[in-house]
Amino acid sequence: MTGLLGPNGSGKSTLIKALLGLLHTHAGNGRVLDFKWPRDTKAIRDSIGYLPEDDCYIAGLEGIESVSLMAQLSGLAGREGLRRSHEMMDFCGFGEERYREVESYSTGMRQKLKFAQALVHDPPLLILDEPTTGLDPDQRMAMLRRIRTLATRHGKSVILSTHILPDVKTVCDHVVILVGGTVRVIDTLENLSRPVEPTMHVSVIGDHAALARRVSSEGHRVDWHPKTATLRIGGIDPDQTQRLWTWAAETETAIRRMEPAVNSLEQIFIEVASGALTAGIDADPSLNPVEVVRARS
Amino acid sequence: MPVHDLGYRKWSGARADQFLRPLVIARGGVALIMKRRWLRMLLVLAWLPVMLPALGIFAFEFSSTEPDMQRMIVSTVSGPLGRPDLGALILADMESARHEVWSTLILAYFRYPQLFAMVGLIGLIAPLLISYDLRTKAYLMYFSRPLTPTQYIVGKSAVIWFFLAVVATVPALLLYVIGVLLSPDLSVITQTWDIPLRILAASVVLMLPTTTLAVVYSSLTAESRYATFAWFATWAMGFVAYQFLTFTTAAMSGQRPPRRRRGPVNWEEYGVDLDRWRLLSPYHTLGKVEAWVFGLDTTAASVVPAIGVLAGITVIGFWIVHRRIVARLSV
Repeated sequence: MTGLLGPNGSGKSTLIKALLGLLHTHAGNGRVLDFKWPRDTKAIRDSIGYLPEDDCYIAGLEGIESVSLMAQLSGLAGREGLRRSHEMMDFCGFGEERYREVESYSTGMRQKLKFAQALVHDPPLLILDEPTTGLDPDQRMAMLRRIRTLATRHGKSVILSTHILPDVKTVCDHVVILVGGTVRVIDTLENLSRPVEPTMHVSVIGDHAALARRVSSEGHRVDWHPKTATLRIGGIDPDQTQRLWTWAAETETAIRRMEPAVNSLEQIFIEVASGALTAGIDADPSLNPVEVVRARS
Repeated sequence: MPVHDLGYRKWSGARADQFLRPLVIARGGVALIMKRRWLRMLLVLAWLPVMLPALGIFAFEFSSTEPDMQRMIVSTVSGPLGRPDLGALILADMESARHEVWSTLILAYFRYPQLFAMVGLIGLIAPLLISYDLRTKAYLMYFSRPLTPTQYIVGKSAVIWFFLAVVATVPALLLYVIGVLLSPDLSVITQTWDIPLRILAASVVLMLPTTTLAVVYSSLTAESRYATFAWFATWAMGFVAYQFLTFTTAAMSGQRPPRRRRGPVNWEEYGVDLDRWRLLSPYHTLGKVEAWVFGLDTTAASVVPAIGVLAGITVIGFWIVHRRIVARLSV
C-alpha cells in the first residue's frame, strides 16, 4: 500500500490521470502492472479500480444500477455484473439504500458507491483519490479497514492519494511525496519515521541537570525541552537503554518515561514541501521526473 | 447489514469484448431515459401518425378491387396532393404506380410528422446525455473503464439512434410490411424491394447529422436547458429564415403568389427558387436529401450541396464533441 502525498497542485491527480491514460503525455514510458505505459492504457484501465476525487455519479440511476453499469463497462455480463455489484455493495456497507437514486445519497454514501464501482471488476491495482473525504469518523475507519483488508488479505496493490496524513499512517507501508510535479520522497513509512540519528526522549522527576551533564560527559548530544519537560538524547539506540538507567542511578535521577524519538509524517511532509528534505530517490534518479506525465493542456 | 454478507471475493469470469462496451452505454442510456413517463407517452404519440400512410396504402391496395375507391384515390392524388401525373399513372397501370405511391406515402411520413417528432424527441432526450454527465462529472466514471472518447460518443449517440429508429425507421418498415401484406400477392416484393433499403438510407440521413448536432449542443454546456434551447432555436430559426428569404425574395422581385386553389402549390412554376436558401434550414436540407433518397426530389437544384452540409455537420460535430470530452478529462 502506497500513500501518494503532496501539497495542492503538486501533480497527484495529474499523475493518476496520466497513469490511466486520460491525459496525453509529452514523453516518458514505464510499466503499470504487466502492461507498457503509455502504450497499453486501455488494458491498464481494465486492470485498475479508480476512485476519483471528484463527486461524480451518473444522474438518474439507482446505486445498484450505477455499480452494475460500471461492471458491464468492465466487461462483466449483465446478470453476473448485477450479482457482483450486489456483493460489492454488501462489502461496502450498503443496505436497502442501494435502491435509491444516487442524487439522494449523502457525500459519504457517494464515496462508498465510488469505492464499490472501483472494486466491482476485481482489479489487482486500486487507485484511490481521497477515498475518505466526506466520511464521518466511523465510516472513515470502516473505509480504511476495507482498504487494509483488500491489501493484506486479497493481495491488492493500493495507491492512496490523500491529504489526510493519519489515513496514510493507518494503512500505508510506503510513501511517495510529490512536490511541483517531482517525486521528492519515496520510501517505506518505517524508514521515514526513523530519525537520521537514533534519539531517545527521557522525562525525569525533579532536576534534570545532573543526568544531562552525565550523558554529555559520555559524548552524547543532549537538549532540554522545557515545554514537554523532556531530555532529547542523541546517539542512543532503543536497545541501549540500560546505559541510560545506569547514568540515572549514578546521578540519583528518577526517570518517569523513556521512548525512542520518531519523525512524524506531518513533520516529514512539511519539510519535503518546503524543499528541506528528499529521501529514497537518489539511488534511482529515473524515478525523479514526474513532469514527463504532465498534461499537454 | 445484509443477511448473507460474503465479504470481498475474488472474481475471475470471462469478460466481454471491449468493442461491445459502447453498447453498454447505449443500453444504460436507453434504460435511463425510458424511466421517464413523459417519454414513454411521447413515443406512443409519435407512433400515431403512422395511421395516415397506413390508411393510404390500405386504400391503394383495396382500390385494385374497388373501382369507386380507385376513382377517389385518383381524384385525391390529382387534386389535394397536386400529383395529376401519379393519378394518371394509377388509372393507366396500377402495378407500375405502386412503387411511387408507397414511396410517396413513406416519404411523407418521414418528411412531415416524423421530422417534427424527431426534433421534439431529440430536443428532450439529447441534453440529458452529455450535459448531465458534464454536470455530475460522470465522464470520469465512464473513462475509468477502457473506453475511448469515440466509443463514448458512439454509445451516447446510439441512445438517440435507438429512439429515432423506434419513431421513424420501425414504423416506416412496418408500413412497407403492411403494404406487402395488403397487396394481391407477394410478387409486389420484386417491384418494391428497394423501398426498405431507401427507408434505412433515409433513416441514416435523418439520424447521423441530427444526432451529432444535438450531442454537440449537449457537450457544450453542463446546463441542459441551454442545449435544449439551442437545439430548438436552430430548427425554428432555420425554418423561419428559409421561408422568409425564399418567399419574400420572390415577392420583392415581382412574382405574385398564385391564386388560391386546391392542393399544394408548385412554387417553381411561379419562379420561386426553392433551393436558393435551403441550406440555411436543417429541416429543408434534410427534406431535400430524404426526397432524393426516395427518388422523389422534384426541385431543380443538385442534392450534392445538401448532402455536403449534412456530412459537414456530422464530421465537424463529431470533432467538436471529441475535443470537448478530451478537454474535460485534462482538467
